[in-house]
Amino acid sequence: MDIKQLQFHYKNSGAIIRSLSTSISAGKVTTILGPNGSGKSTLLSLLAKNLAPTAGQVIVNGRDLQQFSQKELARQIAVVHQQNEAPFDLTVEKLVEFGRLPYRHMFSFDNKEDAEAVEWAMACTGLTSLKSKKMIELSGGQKQRAWIAMALAQKTNLLFLDEPTTYLDVYYQIELLELVRSLNEQLGLTIVMVLHDVNQAVRYSDELKVMKEGQIVAEGEPKQIMTRELMLRVYDVQAVIREDAEAGFYVIPVASTTPLG
Amino acid sequence: MKKWVSLLAALCLLVAMALYSMMAGSIKVGLGELVSGLLWGNNPQVDVIRDLRLPRVFVAMLCGAALAVSGVLLQSVMRNPLADAGVIGISAGAGFAGLLVTAVFPALFFYIPLFAVMGGLLACFLVYLFSWKSGLQPLRLILVGVAINAAFTGFNHVLGSFGGSSATSRITSSTFHMKTWQDVEMILLYGGITLTLSFFLSTWCNMLALQDRTASNLGLNVMRARIVISLVAVMLASAATAVGGLIVFVGLLVPHIARQFVGSDHKLLIPFSAVGGALLILFADTAGRTLIAPIEIPASVIMMMIGGPFLIFMLLKGDRVHGH
Repeated sequence: MDIKQLQFHYKNSGAIIRSLSTSISAGKVTTILGPNGSGKSTLLSLLAKNLAPTAGQVIVNGRDLQQFSQKELARQIAVVHQQNEAPFDLTVEKLVEFGRLPYRHMFSFDNKEDAEAVEWAMACTGLTSLKSKKMIELSGGQKQRAWIAMALAQKTNLLFLDEPTTYLDVYYQIELLELVRSLNEQLGLTIVMVLHDVNQAVRYSDELKVMKEGQIVAEGEPKQIMTRELMLRVYDVQAVIREDAEAGFYVIPVASTTPLG
Repeated sequence: MKKWVSLLAALCLLVAMALYSMMAGSIKVGLGELVSGLLWGNNPQVDVIRDLRLPRVFVAMLCGAALAVSGVLLQSVMRNPLADAGVIGISAGAGFAGLLVTAVFPALFFYIPLFAVMGGLLACFLVYLFSWKSGLQPLRLILVGVAINAAFTGFNHVLGSFGGSSATSRITSSTFHMKTWQDVEMILLYGGITLTLSFFLSTWCNMLALQDRTASNLGLNVMRARIVISLVAVMLASAATAVGGLIVFVGLLVPHIARQFVGSDHKLLIPFSAVGGALLILFADTAGRTLIAPIEIPASVIMMMIGGPFLIFMLLKGDRVHGH
């Protein structure tokens, strides 16, 4: 996936993404990181064609994203959003079946391939035993896994996740990130996610794209690019960066550079 | 499985109601007489029923089905459980166009539903126009709809006071009195086609229950789906209004009750609502003409008497306004 001089702004507003060029490596976990308002979620929306760029291109499999029909794209890219809504009585299995719609026509019926993909997606996310539960009966973590299962049923090579851990307790955050990692390692999915937490991003990503004010200011392997200078430049904080036998590589912000008052 | 049984039960109930409706009234016949009379045509009383009561039964059922399904579609596309063609002005807009054509070009009688659709579309367009900026926020959409409904209803009364012909009063006050086989043909043509169309929209409606961006990531062209579903909903409501007159609350009541029985999957919700709407209007019409015979209470009046309290009941129950 290549991104060429991408620009975006809403009507009557300043630039949110300013001439951004980069590429997403196939088969890797890439995380977009940055402070609030840096444009990281906007970038993901542009990559998922939920927004159309003001200028520039996103190239998927050699084709401009804007040339894909909505249905074609849904067979290439699956997206899990931060917050989702489902009807009150929708079961997990019915939700996952939505993931097969990119392969359906108005008059086609469920076939064997669809049923297998749905079973497989629920097995991958550990939801098989919960498949007849209603969505409103699930915990936050289970809900998020169900949305991931729906995305998996789309059988795409690319999976996008927008702040998938934001509304979860820490147990479910770790569980979800472990799931994301295993999807990458075992299924070879290319994963692009937006995360809020620097340490989670460092731990679970092969590559980081660090954004500030609509531009990528650093990109590459987490351990190589994550420095005190970067934390200062992007987040305006003094940080301690350590590597520990038990905790691994970690970043702790210790002081803001602009004291209150 | 249980849900299919509900649908079947509702269908049986509808058939029973239709038979009862044909038997009840100033001319009374037994079930056996009615059936043999309808099949073999050897009973003069039943012949009268066939000419006078049977078309009325058909028109009531088809109008009810069209209005209920129109409600389901509008609720899906506007993400608002309170959307109903009668409440947000679509029926009034359709009635307005119908009245206007009746007053100016009375010869175009058979095409009134077509003009009614245009009036309905205008009202629907205005509702969207004034509530789009707020992101179709549920409360705002309903308030805009109520305002548009009030405006069109006002125009309708003005036009109605000019006219006074039977064709005019058939749109402003809805009674199924004096319906003929020509009315049946008309509603069957306009309503039947759109009802059939609506059965193919269930997947789109189901996808719109998720968020727009999720539906779009699943391959749905959200804008196109919205336009097509709105169009079918408006055509249903307008055809019903042109033939059966203004009836409110059917599109609100029936889908809501239907969800309790068959859930939110539109594959079942749409057919079940069609049957439920037919049943409700047929009941309202039959009750209206038999309760204090020979005086007739219009079906629309019965619906207001049922619908008002029901709406309050829904609000008291803290019915979840989804979309927020």
